[in-house]
Amino acid sequence: MRYVVATLSVGVTTLVLKLLGDHVNAATVSLALLLNVLFIATRWGSWPALVASILAMLCFNFFFLPPFKTFNIAATDNWIALVAFLVTAVTAGQLSARAKKRAEEAELGKREIERLYGELRDAFERASHAEALRQSEKLKSALLDAVTHDLRTPLTSIKASITTLLDEVRGRSNEAPVTLDAESKVEMMEVIDEESDRLSRFINGLIELARIEAGELQLRRRWGAVDEIISTALDRAEPITRQHHVELDIEKELPGVRVDERAVSEVVYTLIDNAAKYSSKGSTIRIVARHAGDESIQMSVEDEGRGIPSDLRDRVFDKFFRATRDGDVSTQQPSGTGMGLAIAKGIIEAHDGKIWIESGAGDKGTRVVFTLPIGDEEIVEDVKYSAATVEMR
Amino acid sequence: MSDQPRILVVDDEPQLTRVLRTGLKSRGYDVRAAADGLAGFEAFTNWHPDLVITDLAMPNVDGLELCRRLRAISQVPIIVLSAKGEEKTKVEALDLGADDFVTKPFGIDELLARVRASLRRAKAPATNEAAQTILDAGDFHVDLESREVTVRGKPIHLTPKEFDLLVYFIRHSGKVLTHRTLLAALWGGNYVEQNEYLRVFVGNLRKKLEPEVATPRYILTEPWIGYRFDPGV
Repeated sequence: MRYVVATLSVGVTTLVLKLLGDHVNAATVSLALLLNVLFIATRWGSWPALVASILAMLCFNFFFLPPFKTFNIAATDNWIALVAFLVTAVTAGQLSARAKKRAEEAELGKREIERLYGELRDAFERASHAEALRQSEKLKSALLDAVTHDLRTPLTSIKASITTLLDEVRGRSNEAPVTLDAESKVEMMEVIDEESDRLSRFINGLIELARIEAGELQLRRRWGAVDEIISTALDRAEPITRQHHVELDIEKELPGVRVDERAVSEVVYTLIDNAAKYSSKGSTIRIVARHAGDESIQMSVEDEGRGIPSDLRDRVFDKFFRATRDGDVSTQQPSGTGMGLAIAKGIIEAHDGKIWIESGAGDKGTRVVFTLPIGDEEIVEDVKYSAATVEMR
Repeated sequence: MSDQPRILVVDDEPQLTRVLRTGLKSRGYDVRAAADGLAGFEAFTNWHPDLVITDLAMPNVDGLELCRRLRAISQVPIIVLSAKGEEKTKVEALDLGADDFVTKPFGIDELLARVRASLRRAKAPATNEAAQTILDAGDFHVDLESREVTVRGKPIHLTPKEFDLLVYFIRHSGKVLTHRTLLAALWGGNYVEQNEYLRVFVGNLRKKLEPEVATPRYILTEPWIGYRFDPGV
């Protein structure tokens, strides 16, 4: 097929040139035929180009070099022209055919590379998706472990206490007699009482966290005074701060803030509770509130405890993370539920504020700082907030 | 001082150590508590308790490490407190030489029963085990030389491997034996993953020993962990 087209093409060109008759000279004819050969070479490749070259040479000789309509050639220079034509046609044809082939190969290669790249990218995407899924599964199971541990630990103490008491009441004893004095009984009951409270606190925390994460933390924002928020928290924290000095430093003429007072007071309470828990008796807890620019106020609660290593300062806001247990910060102090700071962060961020941890004065202790925008008269509706940082799926 | 058995409780949860201290004391045990493996090990070397009860997950030196360190210097019975979901760690602890485990949350009776069994076992003379030719335990009478076994007075015939397995069980009565421990003891270290060997031989032994194979009373299964042998009384 390609050869037929090549032959036809040369034929047509020859015919057209012949029709033009005397208006064309030998140079024009040779250029036109050469062009034809080049066209065939780029279109159909080297072999049709070779056939076209030979055909064109024959046509050139037969029709355009005197004596016409014979393959004889009279003048020597025409012989040279014919040979030059043939050599040029063949060479140019082959070169352009090869160039075309290279171009095609390059195109193919490019397509192959693009295809491979696409496959690779898809594979990467699938792999990273699987990795993310695996990570989230791992996180989920770690969270589940943390939660079950926190539920089971108080339950274990309760169960052991109750069965000890029951044994005594029932007078059941396989070997040694049970001698549980009044003091021991009270102690068992105290353990049950305290551990039930602990369970209840833990469950309340879980509910609050779940609410924040589900975006169901309804803030009831209204104008409130910073000192009132702090004093509410302090009143509540009174039993746990009895053995500490509490220092208050509230800047004069602080503007009111448009916040959910109850929620922010909860945050302040959590911070005071932590400060009291993780610093020794008799040390000072310092609560500061002041302006932070025109738009917001900044509050902080600082203790003189052991402090939190800087690499753990972000992680303590992760839910269920406890510096005292998970962060290799070993102390004899009680560890919390690992939820207080996560909840605090949720509440502060719901107010478009920020919360972070720094070292206390003289690079000792812990200072937890948060900012709250003073608030805008125009914001009327309650903000429904979804905490992106502590999402639970 | 007193002849009360001494028990060392190692747990990082102060409320639980409080309860256990009181609960065990009311049963006439002398009790001390430590908050982590490090303090526990120290208390052990100073006080030489007759039994150690330890939690697994603790800061600093955990329960596993404590088992390892204790076993390096002593044969004191160790009871591990573990939670459901900690099966792997539990098995590890038993392989490291812990004698028994109690799953949290537990009733004090359950713990006391394990404590009594472990103390009893520790007291029993395990001295001239090699020279011993007759094993008498509960319903079992085994002549190690003639390799004759009678259960509840009835002679039974065992293959050599079944006989070895039974002897091993009797010698470790009451103790939780992990699959790994049993396989290593009877088949050797290359076979510790071949749980199916064990299943087959335990199955055969049960058919020959147990009055009711479906509800075994001598060779008890500890799910996912191993077996516990109770020779009966």
